[in-house]
Amino acid sequence: MAETNKLDQGKVPEDPASGNGASGSLPTKRWAMLVDQRLCIGCHSCTIACKSENNVPLGYWRSWVKGIQKGTFPGVGNLYLRRLCNQCDTPPCVQVCPVQATVRREEDGVVVMYYGKCIGCGMCIAACPYDARFFNPVRNTADKCDFCLSRIDNGLKPACVEACVSGALIFGDTADPSSEISQKLASTATTVLKAELGTKPKVYYVEADHSLQGRISFSDRFEDEILEYRRHIPSPAAEYWKRGE
Amino acid sequence: MEAAVLYNVPHEIPWKVYIPLYFYFTGLSAGSFILSTLSTVFGIKRFKPMALPAAIISFVLLMLAPACLILDLHQPTRFWHTLVPEYFNRTSALSYGSWLLTIYPIANLVYIYFIYVKYDRVTKILGTFTVPLAIFVHAYTGFAFALVRARAWWHSALMPGYFLTSALLSGIALLVVVALVMDRYQKNKLDPELYTSLRLMMVGILLVDLFWSGSFWLTLLVSTADGYASIMLAFHEKLYIWGEYVAGMLLPLVILILPWTRTRKAWLCFASLLIIGGVFLMRYSVVFIGFDVPLS
Repeated sequence: MAETNKLDQGKVPEDPASGNGASGSLPTKRWAMLVDQRLCIGCHSCTIACKSENNVPLGYWRSWVKGIQKGTFPGVGNLYLRRLCNQCDTPPCVQVCPVQATVRREEDGVVVMYYGKCIGCGMCIAACPYDARFFNPVRNTADKCDFCLSRIDNGLKPACVEACVSGALIFGDTADPSSEISQKLASTATTVLKAELGTKPKVYYVEADHSLQGRISFSDRFEDEILEYRRHIPSPAAEYWKRGE
Repeated sequence: MEAAVLYNVPHEIPWKVYIPLYFYFTGLSAGSFILSTLSTVFGIKRFKPMALPAAIISFVLLMLAPACLILDLHQPTRFWHTLVPEYFNRTSALSYGSWLLTIYPIANLVYIYFIYVKYDRVTKILGTFTVPLAIFVHAYTGFAFALVRARAWWHSALMPGYFLTSALLSGIALLVVVALVMDRYQKNKLDPELYTSLRLMMVGILLVDLFWSGSFWLTLLVSTADGYASIMLAFHEKLYIWGEYVAGMLLPLVILILPWTRTRKAWLCFASLLIIGGVFLMRYSVVFIGFDVPLS
């Protein structure tokens, strides 16, 4: 038995039998996105572009921009946090799916949904630490951002990146050291959301306020806080989150 | 600092009340089954009259449990996808669970048949193989929660153990009620010692459950911000404190311990009913308090 070269372990093994293309193997890509919150103006163009590109039903969003107003007048700031599926390298949703309806594609690292397989059990929605998943009421399956799969597979950029007015979104291949995103990641201080969970997200942020995700006020008035949160649940068809009321 | 949300998209809770109901039914089923094997496998003769009723109750509840799961699916007609070997996900507790939920009722049915025809040796062998199945079928539901790192309320190593002990507790409580009803309408009365054993088992498991809860609370109180928020939220829920703990655990514990209530059958029945309700509230709070801390 041939010994495996330790240096090659990080690479995806080339499988000549995979039959994809004339060369016999796919070039390994690592699609990633960099969100520069310094440039984000909170215009929601990406939200709208995503919704129309992916035909997301009314009341549901694959990606959005969370907006927070902080402080009291005159020291007030409007802060934004672009939210989308973080395309984790160790995705909690893929871990829990009972039918492999959501998998991380080996060739480019994108976490994709197979809608025909999905049984709609909701486990992935419960397990996502970023609340990026939801039930699509038309398809009746789980749904999420997939970096606009049909676009990136055809050499286009995701719809949100194309729509961004201020160039705050950079999309590219981190496996290619000469790509714009690789150079930006090498030269800028970036963070990922909830790094402590070890999900290894591939959506990077520049100057993101991490207190903007999840709960925003850490008061002891939990009841008020949660009532406020529930009041903001926007989906028109969703009644059962009211828990039997 | 003052902060107000200008815009956000929280997604609704993906599960309905069927999910805690499902955990409740599998728990009751596993608990009753283990009680049934006490005489057939472990040879404790005192529980002999309970073996068949317990096994039958266990089987009936096992029919209800997957029905609840399928009702909660958004694509109910695709439930069989979980049993396609090619789709099996070895990191998913639910994948193992769906196989267990298929094999266990069949094993249970065969076991019931052999108790019915009083073929004790075969019953013992079958029971021995089915007990681990019964344990796993309920423990996996605990793992389904414990393996979700996103939610501090679920991501606890105590979950599978807590689910198992409370399953046993609810199973015993249900059997006590069934035994009391049987006793009332049957000619040959049950051994009073049987009730003492069942009562002592309930007291023991209630104490274990309270120990789990105490460990759970303490670790969450010094946990991450989300963990602390979940436990504080739970303490604000009246159903959690007054329903699950006071009415579902402490009150039955007092009834089962006090000398002037523990010997009375009416009190025993009342305490068992409280426990049956309390275990359902435990499933309910585990599932839904987990969703109370917003992640978006």
